[in-house]
Amino acid sequence: MKVTVCIGSSCHLKGSREVVESLQRLVGESGLDEKVELGGAFCMGNCQNGVSVKIGDEIFSVTPETVEKFFEENVKSRV
Amino acid sequence: MNDLCLDVGYRSLIKYGEQLCGDMVEVTKSEKGEFILVLADGLGSGVKANILSTLTSKILSTMIAEHISVEDCVNTMAATLPVCSKRGVAYSTFTIIKITDNEEAEIIQYDNPMVIMLRDGKLYDYPKTAKIIENKTIYETRIKLKCDDVFIAMSDGAIYAGVEQVLNCGWQRENIAAFIEAAYNDSQTAAVITSLLLEQCNLLYAEKPGDDTTIATVKLRRRKPLSLMMGPPRDPNDLSKMHTAFFSSTGRKIICGGTTASLAAEYLKKPLEAELTYFDPEIPPTSKIEGIDLVTEGVITMSKVLEYAKDYIDKNERYDEWSRKKDGASQIARMLFSDATDISFYIGRAVNPAHQNPDLPITFNIKMNIVEQLADCLKKMGKNINVSYF
Repeated sequence: MKVTVCIGSSCHLKGSREVVESLQRLVGESGLDEKVELGGAFCMGNCQNGVSVKIGDEIFSVTPETVEKFFEENVKSRV
Repeated sequence: MNDLCLDVGYRSLIKYGEQLCGDMVEVTKSEKGEFILVLADGLGSGVKANILSTLTSKILSTMIAEHISVEDCVNTMAATLPVCSKRGVAYSTFTIIKITDNEEAEIIQYDNPMVIMLRDGKLYDYPKTAKIIENKTIYETRIKLKCDDVFIAMSDGAIYAGVEQVLNCGWQRENIAAFIEAAYNDSQTAAVITSLLLEQCNLLYAEKPGDDTTIATVKLRRRKPLSLMMGPPRDPNDLSKMHTAFFSSTGRKIICGGTTASLAAEYLKKPLEAELTYFDPEIPPTSKIEGIDLVTEGVITMSKVLEYAKDYIDKNERYDEWSRKKDGASQIARMLFSDATDISFYIGRAVNPAHQNPDLPITFNIKMNIVEQLADCLKKMGKNINVSYF
């Protein structure tokens, strides 16, 4: 499964780096390295609601504060 | 002319406690392909020295540009300079480096430490002939140039660095020459060489220079073109025009901005691969498109490049950061400041709707401002700059 985080200008200012680092840590901690592939992408056209994170065709709005909840609800459940 | 160009960098340390520098560097470039650098060191320090060296450097660069003989130049100087009431002499030492068509150098030296020349990275002992004019011994040199030749002129503040402090006899010319020969590598620009030497002088003076200290470096290097594209065009119909111009240019290529990169990837029919490694927490990661030397985020990265550029033409205190780091801004800084000589900007003026959010500190005006200021800084670094807007 591929999880793509937007690293465009707007999302960067809203905390892409924190989201990326949290996701990397959470994926590692849950031993999902083999199953979840993290990637970066430029603008997904959803800047107003950044940080944009994409799984399949679905775009989610994640912030550094909500990243753990997002991981539990949307990443783990799909593995 | 040939495919070579001159890279110049000079800076001074002012004698501790003074406000004006008594050394002066004057650089002129004529349309006929003549480059003239004059470094003058006025007698004494402060206002008096400043006036003497300003007059000397202006008189000499103007007269040399008019092809007037050294004899006449020196006579004019002696007749013009105000006589010091304390010492009863009119006096300013000088070094002139004149380069014609990037092919031949003429060096005229009076009483400054002798110019240090590096060829192929090694000290080069160039021929000199002495001439007596108005009781002054003037050394003249004519030499054919090779690519990567470096000339370093200095005021005597450099060789007095450390006297009576950490060194008995100061930082003598041989010591300076050996230091820069060891520290030199081909990628260093004139500004970097100047900084290396001046920082060392400052260190030896324990940051309280006992005399005005100036280093002026001239380096002959090969031209290197570079093109940088940022932002989509205001009118989407102009996209192919912009792409054609950018991709047909020669030399290295940088693309800044996510949307810009996506459009370019589409044009090239190559994938755009975003990385996730943050080498600098402030700067978004770079990406890859086959055939493009560097792909970065836009406005945040370029703001940082502008910060580095402003520092580089001023005190050059952040060289250590951008010369080594791997983030997008540092990479752009290296490519623009150290490597390229002729830079073309292809700037799209589309307004990014996402950036018009009042919560975000990125507006259209800021983006255009960054480009203008950066182009200005690069011009001050002696680069040829061309900006096209779409």
